[in-house]
Amino acid sequence: MSVPIDDEAVAALQRALAAEHAALWSYTLILAFVPADQAAVARQDIAAHRTLRSQIEQTLTDVGARPVSAQPAYATPVPVTDALSAGRLAVTAEADALAAWRSVLEHTTNQQLRIAALKALSEGTVRASRWRAATGTTPTIPSLPGIVR
Amino acid sequence: MHPGPPLPPAAARLTRRRALALGLAAGGLGLAAPVLAGCATASSDDGPDPLIPLVTRARADADLVTAVLAADPSLTGQLDPLRAARSAHATALEQEIARVAGTTTPVPAPAPATSRAGADLNSVRQAVADAAREAAGLVSSVPTARAGLVGSVAACCAAYSAVLGAPPTS
Repeated sequence: MSVPIDDEAVAALQRALAAEHAALWSYTLILAFVPADQAAVARQDIAAHRTLRSQIEQTLTDVGARPVSAQPAYATPVPVTDALSAGRLAVTAEADALAAWRSVLEHTTNQQLRIAALKALSEGTVRASRWRAATGTTPTIPSLPGIVR
Repeated sequence: MHPGPPLPPAAARLTRRRALALGLAAGGLGLAAPVLAGCATASSDDGPDPLIPLVTRARADADLVTAVLAADPSLTGQLDPLRAARSAHATALEQEIARVAGTTTPVPAPAPATSRAGADLNSVRQAVADAAREAAGLVSSVPTARAGLVGSVAACCAAYSAVLGAPPTS
């Protein structure tokens, strides 16, 4: 039996969508500052976030909710001026997305949605670890992704 | 008729078709969470706390890494963060068990981990893969208050499994 996607779960999915929008905007900026090898990683990460974005949008549409739109621009925690600050923006964007997906887990009892959120959390943790390693952020793999930075 | 903001959507059901669509994320860590037959809101008042095996495994993993590092200190940089993570998992899970136990019945302490023979990097690879699988298997069925914690433990172990590589097939 499927558990309904209630308003609480819809709100959590909207927050995850907002985080995915922000991550995609961030990676576009990041691409302009990182060397070719990191740009290749960033493009993979962009593809993953696009997939997640479209999946959330489709799911929200299917349950009768209007997916939130992306902002025209986002404020970065610190100015992005070089490869290191760009990498740190990726760390932040991935951490925000991890927190949002963890929140989805905590706001639904729907098993399929839980499984999808865990998949996003797990794959996002691997993405985050690459940027944490590239920027010397420790631990490379956060012990509690989405909870502790 | 009265003006006002649009009504929030009524609780809608996630159709099987759409659930599959959201579940079809590209890529993979080999972390195939089983679809549990049980209801996510099922009462867990009966029997031992289902998080206890996760605590036991987390402590055992930390001990395993300690044994591996004693045999091969060159792995310290690679594995010491894992030891810290598994210890953090055990602590966080124990706190959650205690939180619930405080309103119900006392939970027996997890059995102390025993030392293992043949502790090497491959045994660690197997351990984190097993840990990821075990925690992922609980994510669908735990109450919402626990889903984030169990999901984070699963995601962390899955990431270590991805970084350390799969254990050799026996």
